[in-house]
Amino acid sequence: MDEFEQELRQAFERQPAPLGLKRSIMASRRRSSAPRGHTVLWQRLAATLALAAVLGGAAVWHQREEQRKGEAAYRQVMTALRITNHALDHMNKQLAAHHRASQQ
Amino acid sequence: MHNRIITFIIAAAALAMPAFAQTAQLPAPAPIEKELATRASNVDEITMSKNMLAAATLFMNGKDKDEVAVQKLISGLDGIYIRDYEFEKEGQFTAEQVEQLRKYFETSEWSPLVRDRDRKTGESTDIMVKMVNGKSCGMFILDVEPKEISIVMILGPVGMEELGKLKDLAFLGIMEGTHHTGPDNARKKNSNQ
Repeated sequence: MDEFEQELRQAFERQPAPLGLKRSIMASRRRSSAPRGHTVLWQRLAATLALAAVLGGAAVWHQREEQRKGEAAYRQVMTALRITNHALDHMNKQLAAHHRASQQ
Repeated sequence: MHNRIITFIIAAAALAMPAFAQTAQLPAPAPIEKELATRASNVDEITMSKNMLAAATLFMNGKDKDEVAVQKLISGLDGIYIRDYEFEKEGQFTAEQVEQLRKYFETSEWSPLVRDRDRKTGESTDIMVKMVNGKSCGMFILDVEPKEISIVMILGPVGMEELGKLKDLAFLGIMEGTHHTGPDNARKKNSNQ
């Protein structure tokens, strides 16, 4: 029993950590975390590029849409003026004809 | 608390008022227009607010004197309401339909300026003006020909003098019959002349 207790005491005896253990653990941790940092960086870059592409696309689409609307509005104004001009022209002709008829 | 809610509602209504006022000026289409449009061989229906007119002026060439004149003419307007129905044959619309159109637009705020009827041909022209404090704030023209009905409503400060200048604009003649000519094509045609 004494022998067994002695063996146990020897086994549980506090021993100093081997030299360089801490350094090797920290180094291995750094090694494992380094590729993960790169991945996050690439992910962020990809997300930024995707967002920039979406925003740029939206801006171009908005600009084209504004141009299309403006050109359509321009055509409508011209058609409106043509119709107005035609109506006034017809009115002038009608009034002139009535004037001539009343003189005769 | 109750007073705050009432104040908030009044403030919101006051803020929304200009937006309603701008759209309220342009009339809703007359019910008879749908009927005329189905019978017509060519239909032009144009309703433009002040904002749309402003957008159109951005596409006008500031160096072209005709386009500058158009820019000047439309820049102060509040809106335009134009309808043009062209028919293949005579008799495709009735005098009653024209009368319905006339009554729809003939409200108390419009004063008649010209009222011309030709009983032989059925042609007629009505011109009305909207006067506010002695100033012209709008013009309405209803022109009826044997095969065409034109409705022109211009809201904003416009007079016969300004409209009379339209005949001097060369490109309006070019636009005749080419309803879908773009600005670039119109300019090209104009410069070819």
